[in-house]
Amino acid sequence: MRVETCSFCSSPVYPGHGMNFVRNDCKVFRFCRGKCHKAFKKKRNPRKVKWTKAYRRSHGKELTNDASLEFEKKRNNPVKYDRETWQKTVHAIRRIEEIKTKRHNHFIMNRLKVGKKVETEADIREVKQNINLIKSPAAGLLQKRQEEELVEVLPEDDQEMENVE
Amino acid sequence: MAVRVQFENNNDIGVFSKLTNAYCLVAVGGSENFYSTFEAELADTIPVVHASIAGCRIIGRMCVGNRNGLIMPYSTTDQELQHIRNCLPDEIKIQRVEERLSALGNVVSCNDYVALVHPDLDRETEEILADVLKVEVFRQTVTDQVLVGSYCCFSNQGGLVHPKTSVEAQDELSSLLQVPLVAGTVNRGSEVIGGGMVVNDWCAFCGLDTTSTELSVIESVFKLGDHQNQGTVQSKIRDSLIDSLV
Repeated sequence: MRVETCSFCSSPVYPGHGMNFVRNDCKVFRFCRGKCHKAFKKKRNPRKVKWTKAYRRSHGKELTNDASLEFEKKRNNPVKYDRETWQKTVHAIRRIEEIKTKRHNHFIMNRLKVGKKVETEADIREVKQNINLIKSPAAGLLQKRQEEELVEVLPEDDQEMENVE
Repeated sequence: MAVRVQFENNNDIGVFSKLTNAYCLVAVGGSENFYSTFEAELADTIPVVHASIAGCRIIGRMCVGNRNGLIMPYSTTDQELQHIRNCLPDEIKIQRVEERLSALGNVVSCNDYVALVHPDLDRETEEILADVLKVEVFRQTVTDQVLVGSYCCFSNQGGLVHPKTSVEAQDELSSLLQVPLVAGTVNRGSEVIGGGMVVNDWCAFCGLDTTSTELSVIESVFKLGDHQNQGTVQSKIRDSLIDSLV
């Protein structure tokens, strides 16, 4: 009994779930649910369907080529049962899973960071290009007028001061 | 020694068992009679193991092996593979192959040094065969039958091939295999030699229907028991008989 992976979306297929399709060249295709089976029958390419793992991997959306992904694979030469190694393996599985999720999260955060940076850059550029939309040509006018008023007011002040003396 | 056995009223015991010089695999049957026959002959020298492949009992036709290793088809489950690994000695390599022709016992026939394989077998599988079983691999047919594993059976001592094999073809095969070959039948005229019997260097098992003539052919070509001595004894008796008649 083995938890297989769906040949369309790469999600796990638990025993008693999904469907098997055997092509006449002996290749076995396993599907996790009707959705994947139907997509396969319609000859969809999983690399071009956005919700599959194949798409996400081929478009750099998920961690690939990582040492932590090398542990889980189908092995064709068995190892003799030894309680100690099996205990260690079970222990290692948990640890590896931890590391894998950590690296995966890290990868996604890094991937998103690029987007943030691009976004801010785009914002700055937009502001620079369309600055005239924010800053009206009359923006400095009020200030200028006030300055002129001050200049007019100042000499009056002087006269008053003299009067007080 | 050649022994007659039956698996649940079935004479094709090569289908339900796999015998090599280092181990013996036996199918899980309804009764232990089949298993105990093998055990009685072999248990003190080599491990005799209950096994199944992909939940089926036709293990003899599904896997191929010799003294050095055992090759299983891709349909073998992980549990079965693990079970066989745990039961067999460490020096025997076990490997599962991704081969389209999954009945490996039908498409490969081998002893400890050479193997005959089906002409359509994968190149990759051929390499694995050479690697794991440490054999020299030849793509051959036996009387135009591509299923070499079914239609011939050979050990390091000798071999039995399909009854319709021509003398030239026999010569060619025996020069490839470096063992003497004889065309013959098992199970009262069955030409499916590989399906009807299993053999190693000192022991053979064949179906219950096998006639005594067939059995004596098997014993002589596979050099089983003290057949040579028997032969000399027989010839002595015959000589004395002839003498007395004369």
